[in-house]
Amino acid sequence: MKTRVLGLTTIVTLWPLTVGAQQPAPLTPRDSAAHALNRLAYGPRPGEIERVARAGVLRWIDGQLTPDKIDDKDLARREREFDVLKYDRGDLATLYTEVQRARQERKRMGDTAADKPDDSPVAVKGRRFAAQVQQLAVVRAALSERQLYEVMVDFWTNHFNVYVAKGADRFLTPDYIEHTIRPHAMGRFEDLLIATAQGPAMLFYLDNWESVAPGASPPFPLSARRRGRQGVRTAPQGINENYARELLELHTLGVDGGYDQHDVIEVARIFTGWSIRRPQQGGDFEFHDWAHDTGDKQVLGVEFERGHGMDEGIRLLKLLANHPATMHHVGRQLCQRFVNDDPPDGCVDDAVAAWQRTHGDIREVLRAIFHGPDFWAAANVRAKVKTPLEFVVSAARAVAADPDTTPRLAQVVARLGEPLYLHVAPDGYPEREDAWVNSGALLDRMNAAVALAAGRLPGAVVALDSVAPDTVDVQHLIAAIDDGILGGAMSQNTKRVISEQLSDVRDPVLARALAIGLAIGGPEFQKQ
Amino acid sequence: MTISRRVFVKSGGIALFSVGLDPLFLARAALGLDRLSPPSTALHRPILVCLFQRGAVDGLNMIVPHGDALYYRERPRIAVPGSDVVDLDGYFGLHPRLAALKPLWDSKRLAAIHAIGSPDATRSHFDAQDYMESGTPGVKATPDGWLNRYCQHDREHEETPFRAVAFGPELPRILAGTAPSLAIADLQAFGLRAPRPAARDRLTRAFEDLYAGSATGLLSTSSQEAFQAVQTLQRVDPTRYQPANGADYPRGRLGKAMLQIAQLIKADVGLQVAFADVTGWDTHVNQGASEGQLAARLAELGQTLTAFAQDLGDKLDDVVLLTMSEFGRTVRENGNSGTDHGHATAMLVLGGPVNGGRVLGHWPGLDPANRFEGRDVAVTTDFRDLFAEVLARHLGASDLSPIFPGFTPDPMRFPGAISA
Repeated sequence: MKTRVLGLTTIVTLWPLTVGAQQPAPLTPRDSAAHALNRLAYGPRPGEIERVARAGVLRWIDGQLTPDKIDDKDLARREREFDVLKYDRGDLATLYTEVQRARQERKRMGDTAADKPDDSPVAVKGRRFAAQVQQLAVVRAALSERQLYEVMVDFWTNHFNVYVAKGADRFLTPDYIEHTIRPHAMGRFEDLLIATAQGPAMLFYLDNWESVAPGASPPFPLSARRRGRQGVRTAPQGINENYARELLELHTLGVDGGYDQHDVIEVARIFTGWSIRRPQQGGDFEFHDWAHDTGDKQVLGVEFERGHGMDEGIRLLKLLANHPATMHHVGRQLCQRFVNDDPPDGCVDDAVAAWQRTHGDIREVLRAIFHGPDFWAAANVRAKVKTPLEFVVSAARAVAADPDTTPRLAQVVARLGEPLYLHVAPDGYPEREDAWVNSGALLDRMNAAVALAAGRLPGAVVALDSVAPDTVDVQHLIAAIDDGILGGAMSQNTKRVISEQLSDVRDPVLARALAIGLAIGGPEFQKQ
Repeated sequence: MTISRRVFVKSGGIALFSVGLDPLFLARAALGLDRLSPPSTALHRPILVCLFQRGAVDGLNMIVPHGDALYYRERPRIAVPGSDVVDLDGYFGLHPRLAALKPLWDSKRLAAIHAIGSPDATRSHFDAQDYMESGTPGVKATPDGWLNRYCQHDREHEETPFRAVAFGPELPRILAGTAPSLAIADLQAFGLRAPRPAARDRLTRAFEDLYAGSATGLLSTSSQEAFQAVQTLQRVDPTRYQPANGADYPRGRLGKAMLQIAQLIKADVGLQVAFADVTGWDTHVNQGASEGQLAARLAELGQTLTAFAQDLGDKLDDVVLLTMSEFGRTVRENGNSGTDHGHATAMLVLGGPVNGGRVLGHWPGLDPANRFEGRDVAVTTDFRDLFAEVLARHLGASDLSPIFPGFTPDPMRFPGAISA
C-alpha cells in the first residue's frame, strides 16, 4: 500500500514535467481525496474528504475496487424497506398481468379515457413499485459505502439501457437491474454482455424475443390466437434486426467499429430463437430451437457454422466482448465517465491495455484509469458537469440526507431531465455536459438545491448540523461549507454573494439553510 | 483528441472558447447587455417551428400511396385500406387519423414532401437523428446543430432570450451551439420558486450574481440566458393563457409543447425558431393500419397541428411548421406486423407561407428496382434542400453555406414548399 501512495505523489509531481507548457498546481492530499470522491463516488459526505485524505486516497480507491469487502450494513437495512425487492420476476409478472387484465377490462367496459389514471388496487401497487425502483437507485447511490460499485451500476445501466415503460419491461426491469446488471457491474465484461443478451428485459426491449428465422413456426399454437380478434399478436414471421444493430453499435464495437449492414443481418440470424417465456410463466430467458436460423452465418469475416443453436450466440458474444473495437469503444466511454467529456487518448490506451491483459476484467480496467496520469491531471479536476442523478445524489450526500422509500429524490432527478430507466433510446443517458447544461435545467437545479437545504423535500431528512454549526458568524459558516461541501473550491465571488445574502438574516438556522442552498445551487457544485 | 467548442480554458478570468475562439460568441458576450432591451413588436416576423418525430415515422402510412397496388401487396396486414384513406390527389392520401388536417390542405396551407431523407445510408436512429439535427449527414464531428447555426449567422434578427426555444427538458442537438437558445420543459414553472414574490426575486438575484461572477464556459452562457428569460416571462404571465378560436390541444407532452409555442408566438417575445419533438414512431411490432399503434400517434399529431393552426389564427400567416423524422421504414411489412428501419420518409409543411395542397418532391415509386438497397423508398429530396428552402424563402437567410457546411443548396432543387 505504501508504494502506491508514493506512486501517486510521483505522478502528481511529475505530471507537469511530462506535459510541459501547462503549470497546474499539484494536488494536495485533500484535493486528491475530493477529486476521487467526486468521480469514483457521488461526492463527499460531511467530513469524508478529510477521512479519505487521512487514510490515503489510493488505499481508498483500492478498497472501492473490491466492493465485496466493504461492509454496507446501513444500506442493507434501508433496502429491506423497499417492498419491491421482496418480489421476484414471477411475482412482478403476476402483478403486471393483473394490471393488464384490469386495463383490458376497462377498455371493454367502454372506458375510453385510457390515459386517465387507473385507480384500481393493482394499478396503484404497480405504480408504487415503479416509483420504488427509481428511488432505490437514488438511495443506493446516496447511502452505499460501495460508491464506485454504484457508479458502475449506473454506467452499465445506461450502457445496456432498457426502457421500463415499454410493455413487459415494466416488470422485467427490476429483475434486470438486480440480477443482470448488479452482479456483473465489476466483474468481466464478457459475463456482463452475455447476461444482458439473455436478460429478458433486453430481449423484450430490443425485440429479439420475437425474431425468428423466416418460415419458422412454433410447434404449438400461441395462446394469444385463442383470444378473439382484439389485441391479437400474430406469430412472429421473420428476423428483427433491432438487437443485433444496437449490440454492435452501442454495446460492443461502436458505430465506427468496422461492421456493415450485412453483419447486422448475420448477427440477427445468429440470435434468432433467443427469446423469453410468456409473462404468465415468469418471463425467463428461453432458447427456441424451432425459431433458430439453421444456415451458416458470417460476422466480421468469422464463420459461424450451422447447427450449433444457442452456442452460436454465446460464441459471437465472446468474440465481440474481446474485440479490439469493443475495448476501444467501451474504454473510451469509461474514460469519458471518469476523466473528461473528451477523453484523453492516453487514458483510452491505458484502459485498452488493461482490458487486453486481463481479458476484460472491469476492475482492472478501472484501476488502470485511476492510476493513470490523466485521471489526476489538474486540467481534468472539476472539469466535468454533474448529470442530474450525480447532482441530486451528491447534494443529498453533502447535507447527509437520509432518503427513505418515498420517491421524492427520484422525482427531482426526473424533473432535472433524467427520469431513471425512462430513456427511450438504447444509447442510455448521455455523459457529456452539452446534454445537461441549459438554462431551464440550471434553474431547476437551483430550485432543487434551495428546497433540499431548507428541508422542503419530504422523504429526505437533512442533517445540516453535520455540515456547519447554526452560527451567526457568517465567515465561519462559509468556511465550513466551502470545506465540507465544495472541498475548498468556493470562489471569492460565491463567498461574497453568500455573505451579502446572509447580512440581514437574523435567524441562524435560516441563514445556514440559505447559505447551503446557494452553495449547492451555485456554479461550483455543478462541477465534479 | 477532439476539442469540443464547449471545452474552455480559463485565462485571466475570461472564458475563451476553443475552435478558433468563435468571434460571434465573443461579440455576443461583449454585447451581452444589449439583449436586455425589450423585443420590438414587429408585426410580421417570420417564425419557424420544427417538430421532430423521433423513432422514424412510417411515411408510407402517413401519406399513403393508395393508388399503388404494390403498396397493398407489400403490406397485407398493415396497409391502410383505400376506402379509409383521405384522398389528396388520386394517388396519395392522408392516413384516416390525420383527417383533421384536410381543411388545411384544402386551403393550401399544408403540403407534404415524399421520398425525402438523408443521403447517408445509416439505419441507426441515433446517427440519423444526429445527422438530421447537425445538418451534416455522414459527419459526426459537427459540434452544433443547423438551427443554431442559422441563429449564429443571421445577425439581423434582434437577439432576445426567446429567439430560439426548444420545448423539453434537454436542449436538443439541433439547437446546440454558440447562439443562445433555451430549453423549457414548462413555461409556467420556469424560474426560481419561492413562497412570496419578494423572496423569489431576491433568490433570483442571488443566483444571478453567483453565476455571473463564478461560472465559466457553458454554465456561464446558459445561466445568462436563463435569467434573461425569467425576466421576459414575468411580463408575459403564461399561467393565464387560453387557446383561441376553440383550439383543443390533445393532452400529453406534444399538445402542451405546441400550446406553449403558440403562446410564445402570440406574446410577441421575439421567438423566431421553436423546436419540439414527439416519440413513439419506431413501429417494429404490431404497427396497425387504419387503427392501432401508429394510428394513435398520427391522431395525436393531426389534432395537435389542427389546434395549433386554429389557435394561431391570422398569426399562422407568419409561421411555417416543419415536421421531420430521421428516416422512413421498410416498404414491406416485417414478420411482426411492423416495419423495420428504412430510408426515405415523408414530411409535412404547415403555415400561411406554405405552397400547400400538394404532395411535393419526386416520387420514385415502390417498384423494387427503384428502391434503395432493394427494400426502402429511395431518397429523391435531400432533407437539406427542404430545410434550406424554408430558411431562405421563409426566414430570409441570405447565406446558406455556413448553415449546411459541405453542401451547396441549389434553389433549382428546392422542393417548392414555400410560396414565392
